[in-house]
Amino acid sequence: MSLRRILALLYREAVQGPKNFIFIFTIVVPLGLSLALGLIFGTFFSGKPRLGIVDPGASRLTQLAEAMPGLIVRRYASEAELRDATANGAVDVGLLVSADFDQRVLSGQSGSLTVYVWGESLLRDRVLIGTAIADWLRELAGHEPPVTIVTTMLGANNDLTWQQRLLPLLVLMTVVFGALMLPASSLVSEKQRRTLHALLVTPATRAEIYVAKGVLGVALSTVMALLVLALNGAWSSQIWLVLLVLFLGAVLSAEFGILLGVLVSDINSLFATVKALGLLLYAPALIALFPMIPQWIAQFFPTFYMVDPVIAIVQRGATLPDITGQLAVLGVMIVALAGALRVARER
Amino acid sequence: MSEPAIVAEDLTYRYGDLLAVDHISFTVAPGEILGFLGPNGAGKSTTVKMLTGQLRPASGRALLLGIDVARHPKQVQARIGVCFEQPNLYEELSGVDNLSLFAKLFGVRDVDINALLRRVGLDGRGADLVGRYSKGMKQRLMIARALVNRPDILFLDEPTEGLDPTSAEAIRRVILEEQQRGATIFLTTHDMYEADRLCNRVAFINSGKIVALDTPHHLKQQYGKRMVRAEVVGSDGKLLTREIILDRPETPAEIADLLAHQQVVTLHSEEATLEDIFIRLTGRGLA
Repeated sequence: MSLRRILALLYREAVQGPKNFIFIFTIVVPLGLSLALGLIFGTFFSGKPRLGIVDPGASRLTQLAEAMPGLIVRRYASEAELRDATANGAVDVGLLVSADFDQRVLSGQSGSLTVYVWGESLLRDRVLIGTAIADWLRELAGHEPPVTIVTTMLGANNDLTWQQRLLPLLVLMTVVFGALMLPASSLVSEKQRRTLHALLVTPATRAEIYVAKGVLGVALSTVMALLVLALNGAWSSQIWLVLLVLFLGAVLSAEFGILLGVLVSDINSLFATVKALGLLLYAPALIALFPMIPQWIAQFFPTFYMVDPVIAIVQRGATLPDITGQLAVLGVMIVALAGALRVARER
Repeated sequence: MSEPAIVAEDLTYRYGDLLAVDHISFTVAPGEILGFLGPNGAGKSTTVKMLTGQLRPASGRALLLGIDVARHPKQVQARIGVCFEQPNLYEELSGVDNLSLFAKLFGVRDVDINALLRRVGLDGRGADLVGRYSKGMKQRLMIARALVNRPDILFLDEPTEGLDPTSAEAIRRVILEEQQRGATIFLTTHDMYEADRLCNRVAFINSGKIVALDTPHHLKQQYGKRMVRAEVVGSDGKLLTREIILDRPETPAEIADLLAHQQVVTLHSEEATLEDIFIRLTGRGLA
């Protein structure tokens, strides 16, 4: 395999790519959907986390909270009002500070704080407010004070917001559409326009042509998937692990796309085939949308192994050992499809 | 004697039950132009595909420049140029970009793309998108693309079909220049005039078999009839055509009789065309 020839072919793909509507779709659709979801579910432009406080004793905690620039603080007169506000999503977190709280903490006695959390609030907002409360307590007491925090979840009884539940679908759409359709449509187009014949009577091999087509799809869809995660507030501290999973998922999709491109003779048949396969491709994401469906069913679909590890990392804080099994399955599928491609390219 | 540039030994190819190429064998000498003539479906394109490594023969083998094509297609393809019958250029790219891409694929660094475009009459149009080219311009660009690696063997499939006379003549001139450079040329064509004018030898293929292979001159001698065709005024005043076959014992007497007793309007000697010979050999035309 010649890197020089692959780069020459890749350059042509990249120059022609932006004129291809699938290329444009790969960029526009995930971004558009992310923006739309952000607008619909109000998290994209929500900006700062919102903290509600009931503070009958004029605690220093409230002063510190109100002085924090990255936080919206709303005061409530009673615990009942605070609970209502939290349950309705008017605030992400509600904080009940007892009248003698500062006095107890400053005298070295143990204190307690009641915290209400809105069930659909973003994990990012919860973490931010939680960390801030811990800082304020240290500043109030001058050391780590003996404070018990009692947390109660209010509002929708779901751990995940709709935006979070739609994230697998967005990630799959980005990876599958870009990495699968770009190489597939490019290959079919070359067959239809007979330019593939011209390439195949040069020293360029089929493998080099496939790699060049695959690389563009993999690169574009991986970048777009990262962007989708960022736009949906799902950026993880383990970004390299997320990148690895997205990359492997994109490689699997690209292999499948090239296989389709080899087997299918025209662009209409390609779209018909992908449409027919749509349910299979997107099934894991659709199952994730509806928690009442047994989630283990998703494991029967190959795309589960490219999307679930990503979601596990960004939403459940999974680490490499947690997703090793899924990555192994993904690796086996990549090798198997590479074998299938080897057989198919002899056709 | 130098090694043949192309050797086909018992080449055979099947599409399912259809025997498209039926055990054909021939050689082409270096620097020779071989015309490959036959009607649609005769097996011309399949033969070219086997010779250029696009199809693997069912049996037999093809050697180009001494290399087994089926075993080492990429080695062979690095040294050949192929011009397809149907335009298959990247229409969203310019003429220059099309040629640059193929130069890179062939690993050719020192190619003068502008000179190549000038040779095929496309100077000044290299920056234009190929999608805006006329059919003749596309065909000339395809020829330029086939020449980008200075091939030892050039495969040309109907290179002048459907072109205006100027474009066709420009392409024929390039073919002859390439022959002078030393390239071997495998020319597939329906155009008998072109084959007669350009080819050192022609092969007739019909139903997957080569039915004749020789120089146009020998084929005409072997299979054609030389004759004299005369237009004479008939007894009713109308023009009649008389044909007298040459090279027979009674020919001189028949010509003398014609001139003595008929009012001759025109008198021409004629030899058979390649198409006449093909029809005689196969019972069908080339179209």
